[in-house]
Amino acid sequence: MDILAFLAQGFAVALEPQHLFLALVGCAVGTLIGTLPGLGPVNGVALMIPLTFNFGLTPTAALILLVSIYYGCMYGGRISSILLNIPGDEPAVMTTLDGYPMALKGRGGEALGLSGVASFVGATVATIGLTLFAPLLVGFAIRFGPAEYFALFVLAFATIGGVTSGSLVKSFLAACLGLLLGTVGIDSVSSVPRYTFGWYELYDGIDFIVALVGLFAISECLVFLEDTRGSNKPTLKVGSAIPGIRSAGKCAPTIGRSSFIGFVAGVLPGAGAALGSFLSYTLERRWLGRRGTFGQGDPRGVAAPEAGNNAAAGGALIPMLSLGIPGSGTTAILLALLLSMNITPGPLLFAQQPEMVWGLVAALFIGNVMLLILNIPLVGLFAKVLQAPGWFLMPMVVMVAFVGVYSLGNSAFDLYMMLAFGVLGYVLRKLEMPAVPVVLGLLLGGQMEYNLRRAMSISGGDWSILWNSGITIGIYAFAITLIVAGLVYSGMVRQRA
Amino acid sequence: MSEPGLNTDQVSGAVADRIAGVVLLLMAVGAWWYSHTFPAGFGQVVGPGAFPRLVSVPMGLFAAYLVIRPGVNQRWPQRAALLRQGAALLLLGIYAGVLKPLGFLPASLVCVVLLIRLFGATWRASLACGALLTVSLYLLFEFALGMPLPNMPGLDW
Amino acid sequence: MRTIKHARHGLAASALLGLAISSPSQALPISECIAPADPGGGWDFTCRSVAKLLRELELTDGAVQVTNMPGGVGAVAFSNVASSRADDSDLIVATSTVGMTQIAQGQYPGDADTMRWLAMLGTDVGVILVDDESPYETLEELLNDMIEDPGAVAMAGSSGAGGWDHIRALLLAKEAGMPADQMASVRWVQFDGGGPAVTQMMGGHVDMVSTDLGEIAGFIESGDVRVLAVLSDEPLPEPFAELPTAVSQGYDVTGYNWRGFYTGGEVSDEDYASMVETLETLYQSDEWKETAQQNGLVPLWRGGEEFTDYVYETIDEVESVSREIGVIE
Repeated sequence: MDILAFLAQGFAVALEPQHLFLALVGCAVGTLIGTLPGLGPVNGVALMIPLTFNFGLTPTAALILLVSIYYGCMYGGRISSILLNIPGDEPAVMTTLDGYPMALKGRGGEALGLSGVASFVGATVATIGLTLFAPLLVGFAIRFGPAEYFALFVLAFATIGGVTSGSLVKSFLAACLGLLLGTVGIDSVSSVPRYTFGWYELYDGIDFIVALVGLFAISECLVFLEDTRGSNKPTLKVGSAIPGIRSAGKCAPTIGRSSFIGFVAGVLPGAGAALGSFLSYTLERRWLGRRGTFGQGDPRGVAAPEAGNNAAAGGALIPMLSLGIPGSGTTAILLALLLSMNITPGPLLFAQQPEMVWGLVAALFIGNVMLLILNIPLVGLFAKVLQAPGWFLMPMVVMVAFVGVYSLGNSAFDLYMMLAFGVLGYVLRKLEMPAVPVVLGLLLGGQMEYNLRRAMSISGGDWSILWNSGITIGIYAFAITLIVAGLVYSGMVRQRA
Repeated sequence: MSEPGLNTDQVSGAVADRIAGVVLLLMAVGAWWYSHTFPAGFGQVVGPGAFPRLVSVPMGLFAAYLVIRPGVNQRWPQRAALLRQGAALLLLGIYAGVLKPLGFLPASLVCVVLLIRLFGATWRASLACGALLTVSLYLLFEFALGMPLPNMPGLDW
Repeated sequence: MRTIKHARHGLAASALLGLAISSPSQALPISECIAPADPGGGWDFTCRSVAKLLRELELTDGAVQVTNMPGGVGAVAFSNVASSRADDSDLIVATSTVGMTQIAQGQYPGDADTMRWLAMLGTDVGVILVDDESPYETLEELLNDMIEDPGAVAMAGSSGAGGWDHIRALLLAKEAGMPADQMASVRWVQFDGGGPAVTQMMGGHVDMVSTDLGEIAGFIESGDVRVLAVLSDEPLPEPFAELPTAVSQGYDVTGYNWRGFYTGGEVSDEDYASMVETLETLYQSDEWKETAQQNGLVPLWRGGEEFTDYVYETIDEVESVSREIGVIE
């Protein structure tokens, strides 16, 4: 049991007082960065890489600090998702769906506590999976070629009706809009600019973060401006995080299922954490059907994406460490971090530098525990911030969004784009058309398209490659089953009513 | 399907949904048409126009459905609200444009004060909170996070 | 493209002038490096490692800030520098052969004479790989199959169709005798990097990968892939000394991917010379040699006028090859 020995050694190192202190600092700083709309784990870790060099930290210490910042940022993203309906980064999008309704009911603290526990469990499941099955899973992951990835994205969009409780047509329409907006920019295969109308600013496509901040933060302010009379009152009651820990017990089956789904999605390098949280949420919603009150503040609607997202982030470490392939934007940053410490992830890493791998795993675990502990006082702190009157809170959100987005690319164009998405988000809200599918289309569309085109390039134009393997047939069968089951189920409900 | 029950804050989407449907339908048709101008990539079986076309078909169909069978909307804003929202967007648009030429501190100060005022605070509160917010954001980004913001022209440190 | 040759002499002359009047004592502080890509890629690495070394070696007054400006394989950064930062003498922008390919194929908003080309600090080298269980044991076997049926092999790499990875592979096919009108029938699959391409090859989804050595060196060392050819003039240093070059197998094809920098086109000769000098000092340090090697780069210096000439040469070459193969009209 070499692995367990290395893991134990990793933990021994990570538990040294100096390292624990760094983990604490990292989690706190990360939470701050993650709470700011527009700034997420990618910025947080990228900003801190030069700092670790300045402090002259040892590689292990630097890794622990950065991993804690990474986790802190992810958690910070939840705080603004749940309390303000403004997701700070991509995996936090799904958390708004039930987190914000919970907050509106004065159960924001509970949602945050629950999110902390669900994240912790998801990450733990992923850590165990990573420890036990890493070599096996690499073999599984490489069997996924472009056709299989395309099938996976088809599954994701087939279940998009499960994202919101509103009109199905409007959900699909929103997803199509997102997919179409996702094609804007230079096509990286053929270098042809698409729908850019000669604007160089659009060559890199619509920045996902810019769209996200616009759709959620700016539109939230426009909603607020409808009626400013009540703006002297504190916005929301937050409550304590403690009930969240209790309600996590009730959500245990959900957390278990979602951790598994997230982990599998994470192991596949092209899928990433966003797909993990997305599928966890929609599948759980299908699974529970009428037994859930998803979309209206169901705690399970918070637990599912949170567990799924963190399990996916953990699972994504497998292809990242053993193949050198980042599964998501955030693992890309971890990869850059390892490279900057002269550790080259790849097929030899597990064999040559096991202490590094298991040190990282231990660091991730410590970061998680630290966040769980920090959770309770932090909820109190953020409750205080939200006690600020609306006329101060909303302009603050707008300003932070502006500065955050500006710092992404130092361009005023991004700011105009953000405002445009703000107006779009507001109009969508009035139309009762959900914004989340737009975001998902924008986020996942590129990978969906490129995998389709890769598959077609491989087959030389033969479409049958898309359903030629056992895996693709399995995925499509699953998608069809879900859709049919959903239709039959709703038909039965209607007949009985 | 039975008649959708309207909540107090919901209105029929007969007009707005149809407008949105038509706009999205036009977008889908436009995207389809425009995608034919993308030159096919060198040696590519599926060119850059295929995926946009693949998306624009269901999009057009769903949009057409929305025109035929519109759903419900949330209550649209009144004139006064629209004016406030328009003013806020205009203010933020101008701010985005002058942020770089004027520098972060002066541009933000003016913008935040006006914005807070727009959100219904008194002038006194706007000035105080605006200044506080601007300075703390500057300190946070410039020093704590190490992300440089545009400086005032002629002022370089 | 007609303007290139014309401008080239002018630029070369001014570069020469710049070098002549440079005063070695006064190193100008480079304070910003634009990486025209997202964090994590090759250009980002170039900027970050150079920024770090500039500070550590005290070649600049303070920290060198790295700005990520992704878009259009460098087109966004190129356009930004050309339009609003053409005379910033404290700015360097990372580029590589990949950027030259974009310029050669007219994908940037301007020609090479829009910028002043500072220096290259190192180079990566192209490799042709197959899976360790592939039936292809030698480059010749692979190319023979391709000549017989251009669609026989699904090739993959990290550049788009007609990009540098693709062109390097097609140059081999051309050298082996494939007619230009069949080049477009060769199947090319683009992935997000060399690593993903190799992984997909290990999963049996594609047959062959053309990419840079640095990114996938781990797979070679672990024995997961078989190297049919490295595209260098001479065999590589250890641990890759055993790998056969294409040249040694009778195919006269090389394909490097150098890493270097440019700055705005209106930077004065004096500042330009001083920036080149700063970079040369950096290049000569042991620290750079070490950083480069750890990341699979061979340290290689070309600076100032010599580099500028080399840039124009590369662009002319890539342009004519692209035309021949049919990537551009």
